[in-house]
Amino acid sequence: MRRTTYYFLFYAFFCLLQFFFGKYINIGGVFPNFILIAIIYLGFTRGRLGAQTMGFIFGLTWDSFSTDIFGVRALMFTIIGYFAGMFNRQFDKDQIIAQLMAVLCAEIFYWFGFSMICFILPEGSGSYTPFVFTLSGSLKILVTVLVTPLVFLGLNFASKSVRRYL
Amino acid sequence: MSDNRKSKLSDIVFIILLALSFALIIARSTPFVSLVKNFVFYVSYPNVSAANQIFQYAGSFAENIKSIVYISQENLSYKQKNQELTDKLRNYDAVIEQYDNLAKLLNVPKIKDTQSVFARISTREPNEWYQWFIINKGEADSLSKELPVVMLRNNGELCAVGRIIETRQGSAKVGLITNSLSAVPVEIKGKKINCLAEGLNSNMLKITYIPLNANIEAGDEVIVSPFSSVFNAGMPIGVIKSVLKDRSLDFKTAIAEVYFDSVSLYEAIVLVPKESIK
Repeated sequence: MRRTTYYFLFYAFFCLLQFFFGKYINIGGVFPNFILIAIIYLGFTRGRLGAQTMGFIFGLTWDSFSTDIFGVRALMFTIIGYFAGMFNRQFDKDQIIAQLMAVLCAEIFYWFGFSMICFILPEGSGSYTPFVFTLSGSLKILVTVLVTPLVFLGLNFASKSVRRYL
Repeated sequence: MSDNRKSKLSDIVFIILLALSFALIIARSTPFVSLVKNFVFYVSYPNVSAANQIFQYAGSFAENIKSIVYISQENLSYKQKNQELTDKLRNYDAVIEQYDNLAKLLNVPKIKDTQSVFARISTREPNEWYQWFIINKGEADSLSKELPVVMLRNNGELCAVGRIIETRQGSAKVGLITNSLSAVPVEIKGKKINCLAEGLNSNMLKITYIPLNANIEAGDEVIVSPFSSVFNAGMPIGVIKSVLKDRSLDFKTAIAEVYFDSVSLYEAIVLVPKESIK
């Protein structure tokens, strides 16, 4: 029950942050991928099962809100959750370098995988253009990596607080 | 739960989630998946565009379900029809066997077994609309003079149209039964009255040589008589429209309308004896 409540709160918080506040607090359309950071965090702290399942649910939710190929984010976040979970207990989750490297690798994998699927299954004009470097895209990756330590710090603090109350 | 078991469970869940994701990617454009996606989107961000899309996909989804039900019903009726036809075919085989035996015993000529050759009408002269036309099949398709040309009616029956009067390698000329030079031995269906159907260069036929005492009236069906050397006996030709009052000494005359619709006649069937098929 405690675990379910934790995951539910986790899901609700990051959905709100990504899909609701993203519209208001972005800078020139650049907004960090908080969901990706959340999945990496879950992988580091909870292991493969929790990270991949939450990755799938987050991906499915995001796919529902987007006009890109349906299911592609569910697939990418599931894989990222699985591999992030493999490093559970192998990395010190409080080590900033480990956090930055993990999120950077995940971002590159996400971009590459997303582009590959969009390349194989093109959706027609107006859809995502695969394998194209854009300034906003690169900035988004950079911002995501930079905010990662803050998010990890906040999540560690929140986890301790939630554990105390639940 | 031990680490090993937990790891195995994680792997299994991973494979299931991957399969689910791939299934979603493959099924993304199906109406059902699109419907669910648009519905979730509408619940989160209610707007007119999303609502329209939901109704559109819900409509096509319902249409598909309806089509499946209709096809299933249609399939059922076709199965029944198929069973009926199989029974009829079985009876037909038995009748044919008996017919062969009787024909051999009585030493009578057998009815020719024919094969249908479908042909398109390639040329028609507007001034001679009810006299002849040319079809796009000829000697190369085993067509020869005096073969009957028929048409499939809406009720599935064949009706007489004409006979081949000239053949070329890839075409043939068909003289219609409505041609004024044509005369087909006919009988009034169910009344055993033998008479002659003469063409009038219109969609009407003049039915001549009707015995004076024959009970014939408008609405009677005219069919091919067994005396015809071209058409099979019993093939429908037309329907009596009127019986003429001016009688000659011995016979009555009637006017019949032909069954074949000359205006929409684009395709004809030539009944070719099987033994003459190349």
